[in-house]
Amino acid sequence: MSASASTTGTSPETSPTETASANRPNRLTARELTLAYEDRTVVDGLDLEIPDGEVTVIVGPNACGKSTLLRALGRLLRPRGGAVLLDGTDLARIPTKKIAQSVGLLPQTPVAPEAITVADLVSRGRQPHQRWWQQWSEEDERAVTDAMERTDVTALADRPVDELSGGQRQRVWIAMALAQETDLLLLDEPTTYLDISHQVEVLDLVRQLNHERGRTVVAVLHDLNQAARYADHLIAMKGGGIVARGRPEGIVTAELVHEVFGLDSVVVPDPVTGSPLVVPGTPWQAAEQG
Amino acid sequence: MSALESRTDVRTVRAGGRPGVRPAGYGLIRIKAKGHGGGRGGHGGRGGSFLLHRRSALVAIGLALATAAACVTYLCVGESFIAPGDAVKAVLHTQWGLGQATPNDLVVGTLRLPRMTLGLMVGAAFGIAGALIQTVARNPLASPDIIGVSQGASAVTVGAMTYGVSSYAVLPYLSVLGGLAAAALVYVFAWRGGLQAARFVLIGIGFAVALRSITHLFLTKGDYLVAQQAKVWMTGSLNGRGWGEATPLGWALLVLLPGVLWAARAQRTVSMDDDTATALGVRLGRARLGLVALGVVLASMATGAAGPVDFVALLAPQIARRMTRTAQIPLLCSALTGAFIVVTADLLARKLFAPTELPVGVLTAAVGAPYLIHLLLSSGGRGRKGGTAA
Repeated sequence: MSASASTTGTSPETSPTETASANRPNRLTARELTLAYEDRTVVDGLDLEIPDGEVTVIVGPNACGKSTLLRALGRLLRPRGGAVLLDGTDLARIPTKKIAQSVGLLPQTPVAPEAITVADLVSRGRQPHQRWWQQWSEEDERAVTDAMERTDVTALADRPVDELSGGQRQRVWIAMALAQETDLLLLDEPTTYLDISHQVEVLDLVRQLNHERGRTVVAVLHDLNQAARYADHLIAMKGGGIVARGRPEGIVTAELVHEVFGLDSVVVPDPVTGSPLVVPGTPWQAAEQG
Repeated sequence: MSALESRTDVRTVRAGGRPGVRPAGYGLIRIKAKGHGGGRGGHGGRGGSFLLHRRSALVAIGLALATAAACVTYLCVGESFIAPGDAVKAVLHTQWGLGQATPNDLVVGTLRLPRMTLGLMVGAAFGIAGALIQTVARNPLASPDIIGVSQGASAVTVGAMTYGVSSYAVLPYLSVLGGLAAAALVYVFAWRGGLQAARFVLIGIGFAVALRSITHLFLTKGDYLVAQQAKVWMTGSLNGRGWGEATPLGWALLVLLPGVLWAARAQRTVSMDDDTATALGVRLGRARLGLVALGVVLASMATGAAGPVDFVALLAPQIARRMTRTAQIPLLCSALTGAFIVVTADLLARKLFAPTELPVGVLTAAVGAPYLIHLLLSSGGRGRKGGTAA
C-alpha cells in the first residue's frame, strides 16, 4: 500500500488548542519533506505541523520512518527535498546554535564522554546558552539544578555516568535535555530500556513539563497505549506517510490499528484515563470461541 | 581511588536558600561587569564567568614546577657541571645582558639554553597535538605519529635530503608541508559524508605504513652519508638544534594560541556523540576539522624542528588525563607533560651514555613502547566502550 493512498482516509486535523494559537502559526512545521538514506527513500513529500504547547506523539510499526522524521525535525538528518521550518525559516538556514536555543533533542542512544559525572553531563545542556567568556551564569546554575531536581537525579550529581543503571542514565540524559530549557523538546523513544515504572515516570514528567511550562513536546513511542494515554496530538505513520493524526480519542480505532500495524484488536476506554486502550485480539482465543 | 575524588559542590546561590548544583570539582570565577548594578546573572548580562577544574589547576602548577626543575637541571648538567646559581647568571647575561660575563656563557647560553627551549616547545606542541587528535578520534591510541602525520613529514624531508636539499632553513618547512599533506589525504579518504573516528584512525595507520615504506625507499636510493643524516633526523633529535629552529616554532605557537584556547572549549562537546553534540548546537564537522587541523599543524611544526620524536604526542595527553581525571583530555596539562617529557628525555639522552649522545627519540620510544602496550592491553578490557567510539 502506498503512502499517498493511505493518507486519503485522514480526518482533517483538529487541534484542541486552536483557540489559543488561532492567530499564530505553529513554530515547527515541515513542508514537502523527503528523507532518504543513501539510495533508500524513507519519507516522501510529507507535510506536517507540530501544534504549539501540546504533546505530539508519533507511532507506527518498525521502519515506518518515525525516528527518521524526528531526526529531520531536529536537523540531525538533512532532508533530500523540502524543508523543516522553525518559525517559518528553513532549519538549514539557521545557525545550529540558534536552533539549539529553541529546540532540544534527546537521541535514541546518546553516548556520554568517558568518566563524566552526572552534574557535568547535565550542565552540558547549557552549551547553546553559553559563550566562552560566560561559562557558568546564575541562570545556568538555576537551570541545571532545576532539571536535576525534576528528574530526581540530584543525589547522583557526583557519580560517573558509566556506573548508573539504565533507568538512572536515561533520567540523566533527560535532565540534560531539560537543562537546555528549550520551548520545543524532541524525544526519540525516551522509554526504551526502562522498566514500566520508570516508563510511566518519564512520561509523567513529559506531561508535567508541558502542563506547567507550556513546552511543546514531540516524542516517538513504541507503545501505542502509552502514546494514546499521553498524547494531545497523535500521528500514526506507516511506510513513510501519515495515516492519521489528531486527538487519540478521535483517531485510535480498531480499523486504524489494523491499517497501521496489521493487527486485529479491540479498542476500549482506558479504565483510568478514559483514553483509547488497544487490546490485541489474539487469534487462538478467537478460534476457541468460533 | 574514590577517596581522592573531589566532593560535591553544593552551595547556596540564591537568596531563596535552595542549593545549586554545579559540576563537581570545578571552581567558579565570576567577573562582574562595571556599571550594571542589576543583579541578573543571565547571559544577557555583561559579566564573565569561568569554570576552572581545581584538580587540573593544581596538576598544572605541579607540572610547571617539575618542568622548571627539569630545566634548571638541564642547564646545570652536561659534560661539565655548572652550579644552578652560575647557570642562572649565565642565562641572565647572555639573554638580557644582565650582570657580568661568566665563563659559562658559551656552554649555558649558546649550547644548552637554545636546545632546552626548543625541547620545551617541541614537547608542548606534540602534547597539544596528541590531545587534539585523540579527542577527535575518541581513541587514546590515535596520535600524529600513528595516523601518518609524522610519516608524511619524514617522507617529504628524507626525499628532499636524498635529492640534495640539505639546508636546515628549508627542511623544517618541507616537513610541515609533508605532515599537512599526509593529514589531508587521510582526512579525505576517511570522509564519508561525515568523519567516523574509527575509520579515521584505521586509514591513518594505513597511510603511516605506506609513507614509511616510501621513506625507506628514499633511504636505500640515497647516498650513504645522507641516509645516515636522515636516520638521525627520523629518530627525532635535538642535537645541534637551537634558536634557528626554536624561534619560528615559538612564533608559530604564539600565533596558534588563540586557536588552542578555542580548542579547549570546543573539546567539551566534540567528546560527545554526534547526535547529542548537534542537538547542543555544535557544528561538529567544523569543530572536528578545526581541532584536527590545529593538531596536525602543531605536530608538523614540531616534527619540522626536531624530527618525529616518537610517542610524546601519544603519551603526554594520556598521562595528563590520568592525573587530572577530567572527562576530556586537558590541553594545558598535556602541553606541560609533553614539555617535561622531552626536556627530561633529552637530558638523559645527553648524559646517560656520555660522551655518546643518543637522539632524544630513542629515549621517548624506549619509555613509550611499553606504555603503548599497556594502553592496548587495558583498552582491550573495555572492548564494548571502544566500539562506541565509532
